[in-house]
Amino acid sequence: MNIADRINKIKNNKIFGRFYGVLLLLFIAAVVFAVFKILTPDNFGTPEKMYYYLQSSIIYSVGACGLYFIVVMGLFDFSIGANVVLSAIIAVTLSRQFGYAGLLIGALVCGTIIGFCNGFLYTKLKIPSMIVTVGLMLIFESLAYFASGGEKQSLDASLQFFGKAPGNMILAFVAFLLTFFILKYTKIGTYCYAIGSDEYVAKNMGINVTKYKIIGFVLLHFFVGIMAVLSVSFGTSVTATTGMASMSRNFTPLMGTFFGLAFKKYGTPVTAMVIGEFIISIIFNGFIALGAPTTIQNVVTGAALLIIVALTTKPAKGAVVK
Amino acid sequence: MNEIILKAENVCKSFGITKAVCDVSMSFVKGEIHGLIGENGSGKSTFVSMLCGIHSIDSGRFVLNGEELHVRNQVQANDKGVSIIVQEMGTLSGLTVADNIFLGREDKFVRFGIKNTAAMNREAAMLLEKYGFGDINAAAMIDNYNFEDRKLIEIVKATHFGPRIVVVDETTTALSQKGREELYKHMRRIRDEGNTVIFISHNLTEIIEYTDSVSVLRDGKYIDTVKSSEVSEDELKRLMVGREIANKYYRTDYGQPVEGETVLSVRNVSVPGQITDISFELHKGEILGFGGLSECGMHEVGKAIFGASFDRAGTVALANGTKIDSIPCAIKHSIAYASKDRDNESLVLFDSIRDNIVLPSINDLAEKNILKKKKLDKFANEYAKMISVKMTGVDQFVSNLSGGNKQKVVLARWIGKNSDIIVLDSPTRGIDVKVKADIYSLMSELKEKGKSIIMISEEIQELLGMCDRIIIMKNGVISGELARDERLNEEDLIVKMV
Repeated sequence: MNIADRINKIKNNKIFGRFYGVLLLLFIAAVVFAVFKILTPDNFGTPEKMYYYLQSSIIYSVGACGLYFIVVMGLFDFSIGANVVLSAIIAVTLSRQFGYAGLLIGALVCGTIIGFCNGFLYTKLKIPSMIVTVGLMLIFESLAYFASGGEKQSLDASLQFFGKAPGNMILAFVAFLLTFFILKYTKIGTYCYAIGSDEYVAKNMGINVTKYKIIGFVLLHFFVGIMAVLSVSFGTSVTATTGMASMSRNFTPLMGTFFGLAFKKYGTPVTAMVIGEFIISIIFNGFIALGAPTTIQNVVTGAALLIIVALTTKPAKGAVVK
Repeated sequence: MNEIILKAENVCKSFGITKAVCDVSMSFVKGEIHGLIGENGSGKSTFVSMLCGIHSIDSGRFVLNGEELHVRNQVQANDKGVSIIVQEMGTLSGLTVADNIFLGREDKFVRFGIKNTAAMNREAAMLLEKYGFGDINAAAMIDNYNFEDRKLIEIVKATHFGPRIVVVDETTTALSQKGREELYKHMRRIRDEGNTVIFISHNLTEIIEYTDSVSVLRDGKYIDTVKSSEVSEDELKRLMVGREIANKYYRTDYGQPVEGETVLSVRNVSVPGQITDISFELHKGEILGFGGLSECGMHEVGKAIFGASFDRAGTVALANGTKIDSIPCAIKHSIAYASKDRDNESLVLFDSIRDNIVLPSINDLAEKNILKKKKLDKFANEYAKMISVKMTGVDQFVSNLSGGNKQKVVLARWIGKNSDIIVLDSPTRGIDVKVKADIYSLMSELKEKGKSIIMISEEIQELLGMCDRIIIMKNGVISGELARDERLNEEDLIVKMV
C-alpha cells in the first residue's frame, strides 16, 4: 500500500476521518517544532516557552475567527489593525474610570461600531471592500491618534487579567466557542457560506445579502474588539500610529483565516485557525531563537504559509484558482 | 372538467430593447405535466423565472388558485407553492446537503436564534431516504457529490414541501439516463398527487412521451397549446419555428465513401480514470461520430485530441507526423475544439462577440503587434454574419445571447481561424431545432470544403443522420464502429453502448 492509499484509508476511517484535519495540522506543528528543536535545542521549545508561544498566538487566532466571516463571503478588510489600536485606546481610557467593565465594554462596543460603519459604507458605496476599508483604516488611525493625543496609553497593572493565563486563555476560548457556534448553529454561518458560494443564487433563496454582509463586518470587528483587549493586556500598553503603520497587524490574523479556509473541507475551520496561528508563532519564535534577522523571519514565514496552504488545498486538475 | 390551477394573464418582460416575453396568456390545469417548448430565446426560461420570482414582471400577472401571485424571490414562491429545478447547478458549494435542502427555510429549525443542526440533518436524511436517495449523507458537504447527485438533491429541495406547481427547466440535458428516470418518476408522482409540473425541454421525443399537454412560445409570444397524445414531433417543430423544417434536417447522402487521406492519427491514447487505449484515424472531409452513454469517456476523447487532457498517454499526430501535445500546439496546427460545457470552457461570457470570435486569430490580425478595432470588427462581423448569429452588433456581450447563438459564436471563431480539423462536443446540446438545422447544414458545408469533423454526441439520431462513421464507446474503451448506412437504426448503436 503506498502513502496516498494509506492517507485515503485514514480519511475514510469512521473515527480518524472526523479528525483528519486536526491530526494533519498537529502533525505539521510537530514537524515544525522538531526542526527548530534540532537546530537550536537550548534556546527553543521548552514547555514554558511553548506555552508562551501559544499565548501570543491566540490573540491573532481571535482576529482570524472574525476575519473568517467576511473572507468566506469573498470580502476583505484592511482596517483590522487600525481598529485594534483604536479599540485598545478607548478601552484603556475607559478602564481608568470603570475598571474591567470599561476595558471589555469599551473595546467590544468600539469594535462593533467600527464593524457596522465598515459594512454599512461597503454596502452603500458599492465599491470593493478592500478600497472602502483602506480609506477607513486611515480615518481610524487618525481617530486613535487624536483620542490618545499621540501618547502611549498604558493599562493599569491591576487590570491585566486578560494578559496572561488563565485570563487570556478563557477569553480566547469563549471567542473560539462563539465562532464555532455561530458557524454551525445559526443562520448567519449558513448564509455566509451561501453568499460566498453564489451571491445570486443566495439572493434568489430569499437571503438578504446586504444585511448578512453587514452582520459579517459587525462580527469581524466584534472579534477584533476582543483581540484589542487581549493585545493591550498582553503588551500592557498601546501607541497610536499613522501612515498605514497599522496595516502590518492585518496579516497575521489573515494567515490564520487562510488555514481555516484550507481546512474547512475537513469541517474544522476554527480548530484550524487556532492551530494554524500556533504553527506561525512557532516559526516566528523559532527564527528568533536562531538569531535570524526579522526580514529573513518574514520571508520564511510567508513561504511556510504558502507551502502549507498549497499542500492542503490541492485544487482539482484544471480548476481555475483566482 | 379540468380545473385550472395557474393562469398567466398578459405577462410581459423586456431586457433593454429586447422583448423577452410579450403579452403571454395561458392556463395550466391541476394534475398534469405541461410541456413548455420553443426555440432558444423564445422566452420560456424568462416566463418561468417570473413565475418563480427570479425576475420581476413588467406588466400582466400570474393567478394561482384564483389568487394573484406576488413573489420577489424563490423562497417567497416556495411559500406560495411554486418551485423550480434549474438547468445548471442550483445547489451551493460550501454548505452541507441538509443546508442546501432547507436553504432559506431554516426557520422551522431555529429557536431563539439557535439552529438545531441535528434535527435539520435528521429531517433531510429522512427525506433523502423517502425519495430513494438514501446513499446521500445529509450531513456531508455537498461538494463531496457529483453533478448528477447534486441534481437529485435539488429534486428533493424543490419538491419536499409539496408545491402545487413545480417547474423543471431543461434539467434533463444535464442528467444521465438513470438521473432522467429518477426525475420522470418524481414528475409523475407530483402529477398523481394532483399537482402540476411545467416541463421545459428541447427534446421533443421526451416532451411527447412524458407530458399531457404542450404549450409553444415563439419570439416571446404564446402560439398554441396542444394535447401531447394528439401531436407529432414534426407538428411541434412547425409550431416552434413557424415553418416546415423537417425536410433538410440531417444529411441525405449515403453510399459516398470518404477519401482515404488520413489527416489525424490517434494511437493508444489513455487518460487515467477516463479513457483507455483509444486508437482511430480521421480522414479528410469526414464527419466522424463518437457516441455512448454520458459517462463512457467520449467527451474526454475530444479534450485528449485538443491537448486539453491531464496526464494523457499515447500519441495524437497529424498526417505529417507532427505530434499534438498541448492546446497551443493544436491551434497552431489548425485543430479546433468546441466544448460540451459552452459557458465555462468555450466562451468568455462577459465579453463581446467580437472579442470571442477574434480570440484564436489575434496573432494573424495584428499588424506589428498592434490590433486595430476596425479590422477586428470587420473580421468578427464577417464570420458572425456568415453563420447568422442573431445579435444587435459584435459589441453585444455573449452573456446576453441565447444558447444557440452562443454556440454559433464558438463556431464562427473556428471558421474564422480556418481550422482543418474541428472537434465538436455536443454541438447541439440545449439548442432549438432551427439552430440545430443551421449547425447541421454548416457541418455539411465544411465537409464539402474538405474539412474533417469529429462530432461527439449523446443524441443517437444526430449521429446516425450526420456521420460518415460512428465510433461507440463504453466504460472508457471503444466498443464498436459503424459505417454510414441508411439501414442503421438506434438499436444498432444502443446494443454497443450498454
